[in-house]
Amino acid sequence: MEQKITGAEAFWRSLLEEQVKVVFGYPGGQIMPVYDHYWNYQAQIRHVLVRHEQGAIHAAQGYARASGIPGMVLVTSGPGATNVVTGVADAMIDSTPVVVVAGQVPCQLLGKDAFQEIDLIGMATPITKWSYQIRRAEDVAWAVSRAFYIARTGRPGPVVLDFTKDAQAGLVDYAPKPCHFIRSYVPDPQVSESQLDEAARMIDEARKPFVVYGQGILLSGAEKELAAFLEKGAIPAGSTLLGLGALDSGNPHLKGMLGMHGNLAPNVMTQHCDLLVAVGMRFDDRVTGKLDTYARQARIIHIDIDPSEIGKLVPVDLGIVGDARKVLAGLTERIAPRTTREWQMEPILCDAVEKHKVIEPEIQPGTGEINPGEVVACVADAVKGEALIVTDVGQNQMLAARYSRFVRPHSFISSGGLGTMGFGLPAAIGAKIAAPERTVVVFLGDGGLQMTFQEMGTIMQEGTDVKIVLLNNNWLGNVRMWQQLFFQERYSCTRMLNPEFTGIAQAYGISGLHVETREELPSAIRQMFAQEGPFLLDVHVREESMVFPMIPPGSSVDEIMLNNEDWFNYGD
Amino acid sequence: METEKLFEITAYTENQVGLLSAIAGIFTRRSLNIEKLLVYPSQIAGIHKFKIITRAAEAQIQTVVLQIEKKVDVIKSYYEVDNERSCREIDDVRQFLQEREIESNNI
Repeated sequence: MEQKITGAEAFWRSLLEEQVKVVFGYPGGQIMPVYDHYWNYQAQIRHVLVRHEQGAIHAAQGYARASGIPGMVLVTSGPGATNVVTGVADAMIDSTPVVVVAGQVPCQLLGKDAFQEIDLIGMATPITKWSYQIRRAEDVAWAVSRAFYIARTGRPGPVVLDFTKDAQAGLVDYAPKPCHFIRSYVPDPQVSESQLDEAARMIDEARKPFVVYGQGILLSGAEKELAAFLEKGAIPAGSTLLGLGALDSGNPHLKGMLGMHGNLAPNVMTQHCDLLVAVGMRFDDRVTGKLDTYARQARIIHIDIDPSEIGKLVPVDLGIVGDARKVLAGLTERIAPRTTREWQMEPILCDAVEKHKVIEPEIQPGTGEINPGEVVACVADAVKGEALIVTDVGQNQMLAARYSRFVRPHSFISSGGLGTMGFGLPAAIGAKIAAPERTVVVFLGDGGLQMTFQEMGTIMQEGTDVKIVLLNNNWLGNVRMWQQLFFQERYSCTRMLNPEFTGIAQAYGISGLHVETREELPSAIRQMFAQEGPFLLDVHVREESMVFPMIPPGSSVDEIMLNNEDWFNYGD
Repeated sequence: METEKLFEITAYTENQVGLLSAIAGIFTRRSLNIEKLLVYPSQIAGIHKFKIITRAAEAQIQTVVLQIEKKVDVIKSYYEVDNERSCREIDDVRQFLQEREIESNNI
């Protein structure tokens, strides 16, 4: 019989069983036995030492979103664990597979307010797919493989393991315990054939069907199936923020992004279709606007792998539970081929108005201060859709989503449901580590950058080649915009006095350029991409920058502001 | 506004630490008052049974039940209007577990 090993070593062996290549982490007292054993596993698993645990979880999220493989986080107990909570909640609402392992005090001290003890399971339960406290070395192999199985299957999500110090130190006869099945868990529900028949009939009967899709397409790997379905049925589609990249930006059926700052056409078409087919999306309020008026004229089919999403917000005529790839393939088989639909004027008119009233003024203003959207468009011209675009949260995020172009999946990473400022920089690090062959560009604002700026240290130490584009307006721009529009221009606490960011980057050994004028911008962008290694491009943009179009909160999705004065009225 | 009624929710679960608070959290988040809560071993060894009585609108209960069942260690959950309580007891969960290869005993 093999010699007994410690729970800490069993942990690393279990990670190898799960093919884990990278761990984002930060050591501390109650996880030290695990870190001690890492000494022997350095050749097989890369450990990325972040500067703050929040950086570790967002990097793991970026890694998972870029690769489709669960991100792995290793932290200590107490503050180490609480510092990852924001990212765990973010991963939960954005269905991102991550496994977080945190140290915990020895079992006999649990519940006794020991140094760096917190009830992590209690905190993690509402924001994880599964959380479990490992109290015995014997449970390590089972818990780790179960954690990865749960994180990556079905609707993916975060799993937290609370690893007590005595389970790390305890001895065990190690044997891998691969997990491929849990009797109480149905990750890949059987798709109902009769529901597929019914849905195909509804689609064939519809005059003006419209598809809205989300990240479920990417999580399921249903990009080709979606494109084939739209093509066969001649059905136009709109993407949610997190669905971006699932279809090529040039796909003729794609009418743009849905929601608050989305394109006019898909929002208007939502209110004019006679059948709405929603796939792998969850009717977030930033997509639906006022629910009472959302697509009320249409019959609705909702396709999702998570049964609890069906009917949660929008009453549906038909709910199909299943994997998007299988459902779409089944529907494509069944629907009648079409070459046209009765969609004529809506997309054409909407696009013309948006181009004239919104897009051109934003990206080709000609004179005056640089617009933030102009910077995104300039970068998009340089990378031609090939880059992996990461964003922080706020105006930078909406403009990056609006003016980037995508030619392949897994090209857009952003904090959607939680809207976590500070997500961008560490997520970009994780994305680049997952996809070293790709150009990774992160758009962020001066507010969000400073929430996780410390990860510049991680970039320096790891030599991670991320291109950081700072849309710097010295304001918390999105809140400032809302103050201007909805709070009588009372700019409470949104002005920022900022440091010279390129100087700080330089201190970390990261090259940078500071751009103030439109004339400097293209050459600065060229220099950023020509130069190998990380780069900070600090672009001073219009202080009063706005993001339009905008569906004001509480409005219907066809009540759209085009700029400070004009509203869009379809049919006027 | 849909009228509120008393509902009895049943859930069959694995015997895992923390499930009680995980399930209770689904009610807390919606400010649903639990009128009555029973947790006890079912007639199948290792499987626990929750009986939860709560007052809410039916549309809300439908989502609540699906979110309970979404928990990895919940085997099956359903609801009935409280006064229609039947004696289905365990037949349905047994059938479900047969479909899911209960013999594998894989939790």
